[in-house]
Amino acid sequence: MAKRSDYWIDRFGIGDAIAYAKKKSVPLHKHSFWYYWGGISLFCFLVQVVTGILLMVYYRPGPEAFESVRQITYSIHFGWLIRSVHNWSANLFLLSVFVHMFSVFFMKAYRGPREFGWLSGILLLMVGLIFGFSGYLLPMDDLAFFATKVGLEIPSAVPIIGPPIANLMRGGLEVSEFTVQRFFALHAVILPLLFLPILGLHLWLVQKHGNASPPSEEAKPEAERKSIPFFPNFLAKDLAMWLITLNVIALFAAVFPWQLGEAADPLRPAPLGIHPEWYFMSQFQTLKFMGKMFPGYAGEAIGMTLFTLGMVLWILIPFYDTRDKTALRAKRTTYFGLLVVGILLLTTIWGYLGVR
Amino acid sequence: MNYPVWEVPVIGGPWVIGIVSIFHVLIAWFAVGGGLYLPLAERKLYKEGKEEWLPVLMRHSRFFLVLTSAFGAVSGVGIWFSIGLVQPEATSTLIHNFVFGWAMEWVFFVIELASAAVYYYTWNRVPRELHLKVGYVYAISSFLTLVIINGILAFMLTPGRPWLDVAGTGHEASRFWLAFFNPTYFPSLVLRSLACLSLAGVYALITYSRVDDPALEKTKISMIRWSAQWLLPMVLLLPVVLAWFLLMIPNESRVILQQGMTTIGIGAFTQVTRIAMLTVLTTFTIAGVVYFFAYQSPKDFSLGHAIAVLGLAVVATASTEYARETIRKPFVIEGHMYSNGIRKSDVDKINSQGYLTASMWTPDTMDPVKRGEYVFRGQCMSCHTVSGYRSMKRLLQQRDEKAIKKLLEMLHNPPKDSPYVKYMPPLVGTPEEIDNLAVYLTTLSKPPIPASGANGPMASR
Repeated sequence: MAKRSDYWIDRFGIGDAIAYAKKKSVPLHKHSFWYYWGGISLFCFLVQVVTGILLMVYYRPGPEAFESVRQITYSIHFGWLIRSVHNWSANLFLLSVFVHMFSVFFMKAYRGPREFGWLSGILLLMVGLIFGFSGYLLPMDDLAFFATKVGLEIPSAVPIIGPPIANLMRGGLEVSEFTVQRFFALHAVILPLLFLPILGLHLWLVQKHGNASPPSEEAKPEAERKSIPFFPNFLAKDLAMWLITLNVIALFAAVFPWQLGEAADPLRPAPLGIHPEWYFMSQFQTLKFMGKMFPGYAGEAIGMTLFTLGMVLWILIPFYDTRDKTALRAKRTTYFGLLVVGILLLTTIWGYLGVR
Repeated sequence: MNYPVWEVPVIGGPWVIGIVSIFHVLIAWFAVGGGLYLPLAERKLYKEGKEEWLPVLMRHSRFFLVLTSAFGAVSGVGIWFSIGLVQPEATSTLIHNFVFGWAMEWVFFVIELASAAVYYYTWNRVPRELHLKVGYVYAISSFLTLVIINGILAFMLTPGRPWLDVAGTGHEASRFWLAFFNPTYFPSLVLRSLACLSLAGVYALITYSRVDDPALEKTKISMIRWSAQWLLPMVLLLPVVLAWFLLMIPNESRVILQQGMTTIGIGAFTQVTRIAMLTVLTTFTIAGVVYFFAYQSPKDFSLGHAIAVLGLAVVATASTEYARETIRKPFVIEGHMYSNGIRKSDVDKINSQGYLTASMWTPDTMDPVKRGEYVFRGQCMSCHTVSGYRSMKRLLQQRDEKAIKKLLEMLHNPPKDSPYVKYMPPLVGTPEEIDNLAVYLTTLSKPPIPASGANGPMASR
């Protein structure tokens, strides 16, 4: 009689998957730590899916949005925990995606044949940022209301197409309960439908091409390179990192549970020092700076153009710095990456100092 | 009252005790668990003939000796120093009741220190059997220090009715053993012993992670796996022992623990629930991480992995200590002495005769603000700071004097269902002293505008 484990292995083809995973290997070198960040991002996303579904049980978009979040935070057993874990994992998700993206960049893991892994990753980051922006409004407290109001002024600044897009997102000329309903549909239905297939493609490409070694490792003779099997060695470590990540999220949720401000009141003045979340702070500060340098629409237009240009260059990096091009291009690309990291960090810190 | 107040800005006095204690506990528990680990590991190696592993175990015993004897002993003195300054009244009560207990502990402590040194310095110098015996002497003496201190620490949470009946009569020492073997004594001892065994495994992983000699690879794998198993008792028994512990603590403490399940609404009052949950989660995380990092891949186990495990152990220890200290609120000795050093039995007397009149360290003549400040220092600063941890400036939320008086009146005569009753000692003193406190707190809540500012150019705008 076949063993019980064989029964399931045969029927679901698990044996093939395990055999494939055993064949796969992960390079082992002094930069191997950075390989975990893709897995951490994925784990944070899964945590958000689970906690998001639980929040949907009690959340009521529309006029009752604030009241339902108030109940979740202050009256429902462990509602505060689910909400705090959802918010902290969202922040950690974006942080780990940024770390993952820059580690891929500096290890030059975007080079062929991994160009589409890079492109799909950037798309996931963009959708992730919209997840963050749309989720921020849902509690409909004071801070969420004014932050969204300020945030939607950015697309409004784009000539001709900007105002209709902003009105479409708001569901009118002002941020209101209709905006909450639209943002909820975006956050809980449209974005997941966009995100999941891109994520599937991204994961498939990672499986197909494996983890890239940094150039310093590639330069070594084959005999000197070390690697470990993906299954079970790397997977076990990945799972340990997931557990640590869960604990970090729990630590933040326990010590800094996500608070709720007062109910949004459009007639009240905006709270002092209002600012976007950390992942939009760099853009916010740059636009603010440009606005001061070039008053009127010109400042915002120049800022938006610079962003767009920077993004396009960032996306196209794999087609500029290819394996068969000169070392000069590789060096220039690294300098460009350092410049981007420097600008992002400086403008973010500057933004927070300005808020103080 | 009887002692001057030690003012610690920003973090406040309790966190000085907290930081020193967490550091000490992380080492002291290793001293107990590691004390058993070393002779058992040595025995295992002799039995299995793994002679090549002896240098590594000797290295681990050096790490053990330095960490426990130097840092453990110094931080232990640090605890005495900090509790004496932050909680002099409670420290005095403990010494008066348990001086005999501490005398016993120090005897075992001296044996522990001596045998640890002998154990390390006699590797390969005395017969192996004798060396192992020294290891067991260490293990027993260090465990007995835990047996003693556990009684005193558990007493603070559950002194027990027999002791409370004689508290304040001068006959407290007559109930020494009843106070010592108090209701939470045994569950606390089992919990602490399990933590000691876990830490023995965690610290051993640090030493073994640094072994990179290919000749030792096989032994490294077997020793890492063996050390990882030292966390098993904690993982398997934690739910049972925790349930036993929760069953034995006072009902008021259980209520405090449950407050934060439904809400984060009453700020710091609900924090203990969240931190207690973190303790349980982190314990299981450590077990999972050790399983995946160490047990599953012992060959690749690196110092980075070991430090990640130790980091988690720090979180688990810190959160456990925080939760244990907090569920005792509003007391420092449950049912007897409030966390600001005021005895429960003295409340009526202080309310009628005054708080400052009984205080030896206050000037004779003071204006109302100064008097209020002295009441604040004596009654509030054991938990609050002016503008740092549990900041009064922040908590008062710019209330005016009238609102502050109302709040203080509530703290003086709290309604039974008030969440403050579960956490904060009642405010004591005469009505005049409470008024003085309100005047002082108003200066923190709404600082007076400087005269030049009020009449200066800004005033006209």
